[in-house]
Amino acid sequence: MSAAAVGGESPLRRALRSGRVVVGGSILVVLLFCAAAAPLIAPYDPNEQDLLNALKGPFWTDNAAPGFWLGTDNLGRDTLSRLIYGTRVALFVAVCAAVGTMLMGTALALLAGYFGGVIDWLISRAVDLWMSFPPVVLSLILIVGFGVGIGNVILAIILVDWTRFCRVVRSEVLVIRRQNYVDAARLSGFSHMRTMVREVLPAAAPTIITLMSLEMGIAVIVEAILSFVGMSVEASIPAWGVMIADARNYMYQSAWGLVLPILAIVTTVLAFNLLGDGLRRTFDARLQQH
Amino acid sequence: MSLLALNDVNVTTEAGGRRIDVLRDVSLAVGRGELVGVVGESGAGKSMVGRLIAGMLPKGFATSRGSVTFLDRDLLAMAPRERTGLLGDAIAFVPQHPMTSLNPVLSLGAQFDEHLRRLGQDGKAARRERALAALDSVHLPRPADLLGRFPHQLSGGQCQRALIAMAFAGKPDLIVADEPTTALDVITQARVMELIDELQRDSETGLLFITHDLRLAAQHCQRLAVMYAGEIVETGPAAALLSDPLHPYTRSLVAANPGIAGPVRRLAALPDHMPGLSGFADLPGCRFAPRCPVRDAACAAARTALTEVVPGRFVRGAGACRKQASALAGQDELPRAAADAAAPPILSVDGLGKTFRSGRDWLGRRRAPVVAVDGVSLDIAPGEFVGLVGESGSGKSTVARLLLGLETPDGGRIVVDGQDITGPFQRTAKQRIALIQMIFQDPQSALNPRQRIGRLVTQSMEVRRPPARWPERLERARDLLGQTGLPQDTIGRYPVQVSGGQRQRVNIARALCTAPKVLVADEIVSGLDVSVQAQILNLLLDMRAQRQISMLFISHDLSVVRYLCSRVAIMNRGQIVEQGPTEQVFRAPQHDYTKALLAAVP
Repeated sequence: MSAAAVGGESPLRRALRSGRVVVGGSILVVLLFCAAAAPLIAPYDPNEQDLLNALKGPFWTDNAAPGFWLGTDNLGRDTLSRLIYGTRVALFVAVCAAVGTMLMGTALALLAGYFGGVIDWLISRAVDLWMSFPPVVLSLILIVGFGVGIGNVILAIILVDWTRFCRVVRSEVLVIRRQNYVDAARLSGFSHMRTMVREVLPAAAPTIITLMSLEMGIAVIVEAILSFVGMSVEASIPAWGVMIADARNYMYQSAWGLVLPILAIVTTVLAFNLLGDGLRRTFDARLQQH
Repeated sequence: MSLLALNDVNVTTEAGGRRIDVLRDVSLAVGRGELVGVVGESGAGKSMVGRLIAGMLPKGFATSRGSVTFLDRDLLAMAPRERTGLLGDAIAFVPQHPMTSLNPVLSLGAQFDEHLRRLGQDGKAARRERALAALDSVHLPRPADLLGRFPHQLSGGQCQRALIAMAFAGKPDLIVADEPTTALDVITQARVMELIDELQRDSETGLLFITHDLRLAAQHCQRLAVMYAGEIVETGPAAALLSDPLHPYTRSLVAANPGIAGPVRRLAALPDHMPGLSGFADLPGCRFAPRCPVRDAACAAARTALTEVVPGRFVRGAGACRKQASALAGQDELPRAAADAAAPPILSVDGLGKTFRSGRDWLGRRRAPVVAVDGVSLDIAPGEFVGLVGESGSGKSTVARLLLGLETPDGGRIVVDGQDITGPFQRTAKQRIALIQMIFQDPQSALNPRQRIGRLVTQSMEVRRPPARWPERLERARDLLGQTGLPQDTIGRYPVQVSGGQRQRVNIARALCTAPKVLVADEIVSGLDVSVQAQILNLLLDMRAQRQISMLFISHDLSVVRYLCSRVAIMNRGQIVEQGPTEQVFRAPQHDYTKALLAAVP
């Protein structure tokens, strides 16, 4: 519903009253800060090795080394610094992949839902077909095809996940399309393009924003999986998936190298999901209490 | 002895830190075998009366004063369990929306069975017998067949009959029917009301009939109570109340209702609209005072009470309300705008047809095509209002969509002001936009909730070549708001921030923006309250007088069509079965369908 439907209060202000949005949003602000200011706040260069202090634990364990707050990995690289730098890869992929899936999915959903008929049939069948592939296998195949690299990871996520947007937004557009104001816009002489952008799209925006937030969480996981198997960034760039893969061989000596990046992933995904869920609740009129 | 009696009941809620009496001093009695009508516009609190009796007040609402006695027992003091026991058994309800009041996944038989079991009927066979008898009593054909059916396989009228059968099956002492016919077509409504009359006559059941339709209530009820803003303003025998209303509100309600016979007078429309719940707190005295044509300075502060004016007739308010009856006397008879028959028609429709071919079923067989519009021909002269009347599903809305180009016709020709605009929308859009515009039925859905009214009414200027600049649009918007009687400050508001009647005016203003030759109005007053409807109808009449605008007025309401239109076309199953001058068609209908429609008008 529109802002005015609830007594003129802006949607942003309403969203900020939801605990989920505040918690999820706060975590993400912190993560964004880490990513942006990584060289300033990280105590070490993420690739700087200190072989004398390899496989140290965090400061609260017996095995801690002074100066390495969260310990080190097998090459003596500072875990905290690598986690901070890893945020950059995670968030970059999250934002790019979510924007990409949104653009592709929403554009096709608008066409399908607005025009209906043959166009709708074609796009909907393509989505059905696409969704019948297991997503992880599909993304691995795509990466094998495209080659390794962060750009290709983003591309793979877009190509796998646009269907999620397309399905949900299409059903939303179908409902909006039936509103008389869409017909009224046509009768005022609006072109199809203008009608879609001016009348239909704003009404679907809450759904799109919510989906984007959830998609970012998914993108973080997919990126971690692909960098875990070495198909994402180069080895010299610190990423959470790479850290997990590195620490896996030494998990019996020091489990912390495994636990900490996993925690980072879980926190990030949780933040995106909380934000998405909170936004959905504030936008969805059915869940609002009166 | 009365069956049900409400004595000075107040129902109170809290909003914005203030106590609000949603119902104030409501007293009402229903005797055995009596049919009592509660009449009011939306927001008057009439449904709250039904909920009070059912013990289903919404959360946050509570009875703060008074008593509700049923068979000499106080319903409010009763334990909830005991009270629930009465429902269905001694007190039955007939709901407003028959289709959604039945469980869609259970057959009618299963629901009847459950209902009768709750009423204490033992034995499945006996229950089936009773169900069959009940369905038979509401004149549903082949009851045994119906018991195996699911709600979606029945029409709205059939569902409502089944629900009425259920309500009467338990031989209750009291039935509360909340707008039982509002969702139904005119002819179905007449039949369902006849049925209620008949069942009620044969039993000792008292019936409380809640409706917005004063005429319908007056036709069927013995006594009426008229509600306004949570108060009963007048009660009395139905016939006397309709022919000689005493309270100014009742009087204006009668005056705002166009008649189906007799002289056509300009409707006396009340200004403004009924206050919402939160507005009640600002009205300590007479709640009708702000709209009352005969108010004086004391009214806004004076608490009013129901007083017996004529034996059996109670009216709320001071003596002043009734003294100045002359101030509300009927208006002058409207001159019938005789269209210039010699002039070439501004809109000419010839042999218009549309068939919907709706895909295939799950076995891949072609579904039978639906002929929505079949050879419709129609002319409208400049400055003429023509009514298109039909029940839901008659194809009248499809005619509107065809005229506007929202659907492409299979055959026929549409000519507006000498220009053929039959083709698909893309090719004819430029011509159409300046020639013909539509006023949509539901302003809620027809106005984009995300745009301000100033933008909405001038949206057609946005795509003009060269595009209109904002100051120019603003000026046009002011002009349009003025023409449709909207206050200038609505220009910057969102549609949800104005009342329903104002929203419909915005809708009209937008259609006027391109100064079209012909307007198509699809059921534009059906969702409005009577007093607001009268305002809109008068606005349309004024527009015709000032601007020589022509209109195809689509409606199911014959009395509204008679008020506005000089000619009328009656539509049934996609065809126009009769057309001619309104008075002639209404006085001497030729086609059986027209006769049935006219007979069904309350």
